[in-house]
Amino acid sequence: MTLKKLLKPFKLLSIAKKAGVVTVLYPYQKPLITPEFRGKIVIDSTKCMGCGACANACPPNALLITESNEAVILSYFVGRCIFCGRCADVCPTGAISISNEFELATTNLDNLKTILVHRHRECVNCGRPFATGRILEYVLRKVPMAEKYINECPDCRKNRFINIVSIRKR
Amino acid sequence: MKKSIWVFHLNTGSCNGCDIEILDALTPYFDVERFGIKLVASPRHADLVLLTGPITLKTLPMVINALRAVPRPRYVLAIGACAVGGGIWYDSYSVIGGVKEFKKILEEHNVEIDKIVFVPGCPARPEAIIYGVALLLGLVKEKVSKEVVVID
Repeated sequence: MTLKKLLKPFKLLSIAKKAGVVTVLYPYQKPLITPEFRGKIVIDSTKCMGCGACANACPPNALLITESNEAVILSYFVGRCIFCGRCADVCPTGAISISNEFELATTNLDNLKTILVHRHRECVNCGRPFATGRILEYVLRKVPMAEKYINECPDCRKNRFINIVSIRKR
Repeated sequence: MKKSIWVFHLNTGSCNGCDIEILDALTPYFDVERFGIKLVASPRHADLVLLTGPITLKTLPMVINALRAVPRPRYVLAIGACAVGGGIWYDSYSVIGGVKEFKKILEEHNVEIDKIVFVPGCPARPEAIIYGVALLLGLVKEKVSKEVVVID
């Protein structure tokens, strides 16, 4: 019995030698990341057109779209993001991609924000800003015959149509 | 900080996702005792509070008491989307919604926090938690920064 007790540490040593060292030296070593891992999303500012599809799909409203007369502002707050990847699924232009970045720790909350400001394009008739340039380009790509009226605001289009119709009636 | 950091795990209404990731970080696979990090059972022994969850109204008095018991200098590691910005509960009626609003309540109760490190993630990976502590210790540098892009 006493011999068994005395031999116990050596038994443990042999087990420990069999297992080897399992510890990863994380901050000084690359972490194990699988291709399926979803991290922070990256918004490609050359493709984004400010349509707001991502903000509509975002469950925690980490992506927010605010519209004013001058511009459409898309703000992304990583601190609230749950990394579900729905925004990347719904984006019509493929501007949002999922990166595998997870080292997002910071001492200042402002560092976690990404803000995209889309300026509105002005109407050729009345000069009122009405839609982002990227959206107009997108519409033009889908409907090429729209180039006749694409640079006019909805009000100007409506007025022009009413004028034409009123002339016809006479 | 030169001394070893002793951590206290404080759940403030979390879904247990982040708590399990904290337990993961304490296993021999990551072995945080390399940095002198040790889990303690009382906030009176702790330097750093690992705060998870969106701070529900029911847990609020207990959280304030626990944070008051931590000796100065007092550090907080806000782990997970809920603790950082409220997560999917950010506008819910029964939660405070993240550490930013919680800090104002703490100021009313004269509880000062010396430094807060935010660790986003839902849940945060064990590596991300270790990275957050390493940032607090000054071993690594911040990688994220604010981005503003204006498009015509």
